[in-house]
Amino acid sequence: MLDDSELMDLISRVAAQDALALRALYDATSSKLYGVAMRVVGNKEHAEDVLQDAYLNIWRIAPDYRASLSPPMAWMGVVVRSRALDFLRRRKVERSLGGPELDEQLSQTIAGDAANPMDTSSASEQAWALHECLRKIDGPQREVLTMAYFKDLSHGELAQQLKMPLGTVKTWIRRSIEQLRGCMARFA
Amino acid sequence: MNIAQHPQLLDKLAAAHALGTLRGGARRRFETMARQSATVRAAALLWQERMHAMTELAPQITPSPNVWKRIENLLPSALGAMPNADSLQNAWQASLAALQKALSRWRFAAFSGGLAALAAVVVGVQTTRSLDGEVGRLQAQVASAPQVQFVAVLSNDKAAAQVLVTFDPVSKRLSLQRVGGYQEAADRSLQLWTLPPSGAPQSLGVLKPDKLVKLAADAKQIQGVPTLAVSLEPLGGVPSAGGPTGPVLFTGALIERSL
Repeated sequence: MLDDSELMDLISRVAAQDALALRALYDATSSKLYGVAMRVVGNKEHAEDVLQDAYLNIWRIAPDYRASLSPPMAWMGVVVRSRALDFLRRRKVERSLGGPELDEQLSQTIAGDAANPMDTSSASEQAWALHECLRKIDGPQREVLTMAYFKDLSHGELAQQLKMPLGTVKTWIRRSIEQLRGCMARFA
Repeated sequence: MNIAQHPQLLDKLAAAHALGTLRGGARRRFETMARQSATVRAAALLWQERMHAMTELAPQITPSPNVWKRIENLLPSALGAMPNADSLQNAWQASLAALQKALSRWRFAAFSGGLAALAAVVVGVQTTRSLDGEVGRLQAQVASAPQVQFVAVLSNDKAAAQVLVTFDPVSKRLSLQRVGGYQEAADRSLQLWTLPPSGAPQSLGVLKPDKLVKLAADAKQIQGVPTLAVSLEPLGGVPSAGGPTGPVLFTGALIERSL
């Protein structure tokens, strides 16, 4: 994995329409960003569509990167998540119009740590702090919290997808946020 | 209550907002407060940054090598969405290369299939059909993107590319680039037409003898049109209502690209 200044350099070159730089950026970041897409859409082929869409988007909006003031991986991660959420919204509309059901929506379960390990190999300082604080939250509660973020789900949607009582979901989220708040304050 | 004065509550709301679980009226009220108070706004942004860091903790999974190939294939059209002249030129060249490839594939298929004689007669129709596959593929690839652009390569009866047409619906401009060697006589003009699926051809304008020609056009004139054609007309062109009076020299499928 390249360091932040190398990634920022590539993003500037991509902003100048350098296709080779996009290739280098893709080589350095696609496995991480594919992981993000997978966390959101939960299906290999759909995640590949999202990844493709995200890099074409990065190609177009690279000139905006500097204004975001974010670490490069966080910025690209947000791009991928938002393209992936757009994808899910489109699928939702298609399903409501009679399209095929998504298998993964029906088989949603809380995965243990083994299924969704946290990977800190490219983590910014902020991400490292978040990692340290998330680690202190119980596995299943942390999984509900991260699922809420990645899939942009409400309490009700989480309860429905995980087949958990709504009250439990609300309590878990509230406790997780409380724990995060206390823990992140120490890193501020 | 002024939540800016209750740091713990502010933090909790900002975290739930960034997480996405703050919904409905509570979300709207929080966002209104954020617009009014820099303290609330700062907390909201801080927690957005913190939650977004979650993307950096996602597991690394190697995607299929096809993903990069697809990105590479779509890059020329991503270039096409760029506004400046240089990249427009690049986009043209990239589109031209892609479409010439499609044309040469068709020509190969036509000749190897023993269709050469027929092709010489109905080249316009054949070219349209051969590009249909390309149109379908491109449209499928880029179906979901917002910026719409139209591209057509108009070819002569030898299936050699002569005019590259692009349409930018934002600036409402058709750009025509002559890419073949054809030059009309001084007392003649080339005129561009749409060939709608039903109804008579409609004129899009008359080409000046320049290498690069720009014509104003409305998206309504372009949308749903499968084919464009260029005819040879008296100097200055002919009225649209009467249709082309001279021979049709070049035709080509109009491809809608959305990126």
